[in-house]
Amino acid sequence: MPSLAHFLHILAETKGLFLNALLLTLKLTVVSILIGIVIGLFFALLKISKFKIAGFISDTYVYLVRGTPLIVQIFILYFGLSGIFLLPDFWAASLALALHNGAYIAEIFRGTIQSVDKGQMEAGRSLGMTKALTLRRIILPQAFRRALPPLGNQFIIGLKDSSLAAFISMNELFNVATTLGSNNFDEMTYLLIVAVYYLVLVALMTFVVSRIEKSLAVSDR
Amino acid sequence: MDAKEMIKIDNLNKSFGDLHVLKNINMTVYDSDVVCLVGASGSGKSTLLRCLNFLEKKDSGKIIIGEREIIPGTHNLNKVRQKVGMVFQHFNLFPHKTVLENIIEAPTMVKKIPKDQAIAEAKVLLSKVGLEDKANVYPSKLSGGQKQRVAIARALAMEPDIMLFDEPTSALDPELVGEVLTTMKELAEEGMTMVVVTHEMGFAKEVADWIVYMNEGKIVELGKPEEFFNHPKEERTKEFLRTTMLK
Ligand SMILES: Nc1ncnc2c1ncn2[C@@H]1O[C@H](COP(=O)(O)OP(=O)(O)OP(=O)(O)O)[C@@H](O)[C@H]1O
Ligand SMILES: [Mg+2]
Repeated sequence: MPSLAHFLHILAETKGLFLNALLLTLKLTVVSILIGIVIGLFFALLKISKFKIAGFISDTYVYLVRGTPLIVQIFILYFGLSGIFLLPDFWAASLALALHNGAYIAEIFRGTIQSVDKGQMEAGRSLGMTKALTLRRIILPQAFRRALPPLGNQFIIGLKDSSLAAFISMNELFNVATTLGSNNFDEMTYLLIVAVYYLVLVALMTFVVSRIEKSLAVSDR
Repeated sequence: MDAKEMIKIDNLNKSFGDLHVLKNINMTVYDSDVVCLVGASGSGKSTLLRCLNFLEKKDSGKIIIGEREIIPGTHNLNKVRQKVGMVFQHFNLFPHKTVLENIIEAPTMVKKIPKDQAIAEAKVLLSKVGLEDKANVYPSKLSGGQKQRVAIARALAMEPDIMLFDEPTSALDPELVGEVLTTMKELAEEGMTMVVVTHEMGFAKEVADWIVYMNEGKIVELGKPEEFFNHPKEERTKEFLRTTMLK
């Protein structure tokens, strides 16, 4: 184990080097989560639609994603598709992470949409609102709110999973840490430093999610 | 009969799987009439009511609302439902919207009424149900009776010709039942056509023009309150009245 003094010294010394990596990790995480939310919502809606085939497509997607390792998915998007078209590494990683998060987010949304009392849909319909309008104005806002705690959890997982982008040579936090660590023959110090960066990011993310939760909680039962 | 027919049900049948819930129902509701549907639990009252605004799909028979028979798939049910308001046992207010937002939701989103106008009309409705001071409150802060009165105002905001009530006071604490019944009575006095599923025999006696007693999916007896309560014709009605009046 490195001494605390050594650790703090290296932490301060390398903060410039880590800054870009940190920004890249954040960018990967935010982009993949935003796209993942859109994908998740899309497949959740497919799943709850009355068309069996739509539900089947959604189930298949979730099964494929949950049934294979993320690193395999990243490699398929980056290397596997290279014969057809070359995806820039950032987008290969972002899309793989988004498709991956999307499957879990789809399950989260499906659950919270179905957890909204069916009387809500009936009330909307009884007022002459269409199913789509009731879904958009009445059901989804309630489902989103309920989805926030599990979504926050998924965001944290997504943040940490972004470290796998290191394996397609993206200079995000983990990659920079291992590279610097081996160059300086000081792996442990750099791993601890990167752990601290992740912990700080997770704390920030938890804070932001809980603020959003609070601001939406005004009407809670 | 001069009064206009508002609802006409002709040989309505409905099953859930093997369970035949509505059996050859025939019934007419005239303009400004209040019809109270009574009967034991599971007799099909809610199902009948829900067929009337097509929340439940009938198997066979005709449902005529106003002038024409409504055929799902041919007629726009959303348009029909705008004219047939519904009040639910469990209120079904939108919890993420304030009282005012609950009321203006359908007028602004469905009828595209300008927001200012919808708000002004909502406030009139709120004062009518005695809740003008609750406009900006969320439903979670209301008592059951207040919630139900908001639900009534919300349905009225679409200016329906007919109002359906499915046990509107059954989920309420006893001391809150009165305020909701009073609101409904006022509505009846204004000439609203109403079909009310209820266990409140006092209300039925006082407000209803017709009482319909259902048992096992059939209409057993239909009569004016005076006749129905004092001189029931059917044995099963007598039995029903004996057991409910004891409570
Ligand atoms: N969606 C459904 N699927 C299957 N069976 C149903 C459904 N809705 C109602 N039923 C059944 O149909 C019968 C009639 O139900 P309904 O709700 O119309 O009765 P009710 O007269 O309103 O009773 P209550 O006084 O308890 O509300 C019951 O046996 C009920 O279990
Ligand atoms: Mg019922």
